[in-house]
Amino acid sequence: MISRRFFFSFPIFFSVYLLQEGFVTQMRLPVGGFSLILIFTLAWASMSTPEIGAVTGFGAGLLMDLSETAPGPLGHWTLVLILISFTVSFLSYGDDHARANPLSIVFLVVVGVVGAQIAFALLGLLLGQALGNIVQVLFICLGTAFWSAIVTPLILPIISRLHALVFGTASRI
Amino acid sequence: MRYGGDNRGRLLLIVLIVTSLFLITLDLRGVKVIDGVRTGTQTALTPVQKAGSWVVSPFRTFLSDVTHLGRTRNQIEKLKADNDALRLALLNRKVADAELAQLKSVLDLAGKGEFKVVGAKVISQGSTTSFTQTITIDAGSKSGIRSNMTVISGFGLVGVVKIAYENSAVVQLASDPAFRVGARIAGSQEIGILSGQGTRKGVLQLLNNTTDVKVGDAILARGSNNGRPFVPGVPIGEVTAVDNSAGAVTQTADVKFYANFSALGVVAVVVSSPSTDPRDSLVPAKPRPTPIPTVTVTATPSASPASNG
Repeated sequence: MISRRFFFSFPIFFSVYLLQEGFVTQMRLPVGGFSLILIFTLAWASMSTPEIGAVTGFGAGLLMDLSETAPGPLGHWTLVLILISFTVSFLSYGDDHARANPLSIVFLVVVGVVGAQIAFALLGLLLGQALGNIVQVLFICLGTAFWSAIVTPLILPIISRLHALVFGTASRI
Repeated sequence: MRYGGDNRGRLLLIVLIVTSLFLITLDLRGVKVIDGVRTGTQTALTPVQKAGSWVVSPFRTFLSDVTHLGRTRNQIEKLKADNDALRLALLNRKVADAELAQLKSVLDLAGKGEFKVVGAKVISQGSTTSFTQTITIDAGSKSGIRSNMTVISGFGLVGVVKIAYENSAVVQLASDPAFRVGARIAGSQEIGILSGQGTRKGVLQLLNNTTDVKVGDAILARGSNNGRPFVPGVPIGEVTAVDNSAGAVTQTADVKFYANFSALGVVAVVVSSPSTDPRDSLVPAKPRPTPIPTVTVTATPSASPASNG
């Protein structure tokens, strides 16, 4: 069962990763743009159990760490996404009101995206990474939240369908 | 019902966190395998990124135009201004280059004739409405320039200083109808008086009616007492036509001035004449005709069809 889920999940996430690296990053959207893989992962995690959420975060974080644009060491995004994905899925799992309401998922994803960025920045500081001006960091966080709030509702139905395809129709919004 | 978690879930979470920390540690310690993974991923991603860049470029351009509308306009204005400034700089540079070339040639001529000169830039061309031909130069009495001094360019005689002001001077061009200069023919040393005609062509009136003047003969300044108004040996022009009318009292010849009066940028005023007459040493070398390559085409008849068959 687990291998089947992984077998289906991996190409999906890899495709999203390719989309992110090949197209979304090339758009050079203003105020930071958005991270498709981050939104996808957190939305996916919000529909999954905390264990699946953590594993999803691990896989997606590993992919993000492999990106050329990732400034930190390998494992940086992995650690952040394990924790954030776990938290997001922990908050939504078992709460039928939250899971049934797309707005709650959008909210969770947007908060999760901002939380992931802040956690990434803090961990980066601990690892000696130069982040630059704090105002600029906050500006990018807000910009990403803005874009995520726009993009998440648009792709949520697709994520929901794919999640249902992998985990069963019961999880579909 | 909210998720409460179990030991298996906690264990999985701990394992994942430890794994990520392990990866961070390995990467920070510079393990080559990690670098290799990243490099390999990037190599594999490059074609996708190139394709993505190509696909997204119209959207990116549009977005950039929209978001930078104000800035783009400002940038265009700035670039226009820069372009104008660069054009002006280029133009100035061209002018400077031309002036430099003129200065170099005039100094060459002055050096050859051992003239002591003061270089000057032509700052204005006199009005021709009064039928005079003059130029104003940016050097005057402060630079040692006095009236009745010879003015030369790199090609030869330009004229004579008519009035010297403190910082400028008016030069009467050799083409001025009122201009007269004692001249001699290089080689034969026959003398005459050359007068301006208002064009680049002057008329040489020879004193000896039996002189043999030929087209192409170089005409030089004869020189005056103490080199004023004319220093000796300055090339003036060359004979382009000779009038040998029977019964004429004097023989005349048309002379084309070496100096191009309409393109004067830098001139030199001879402030001190040489101790010795340079004679014909300043006669410009005749331009050598450029050899025209001739191509001879020889037609070779091809073998007749009969012989081929």
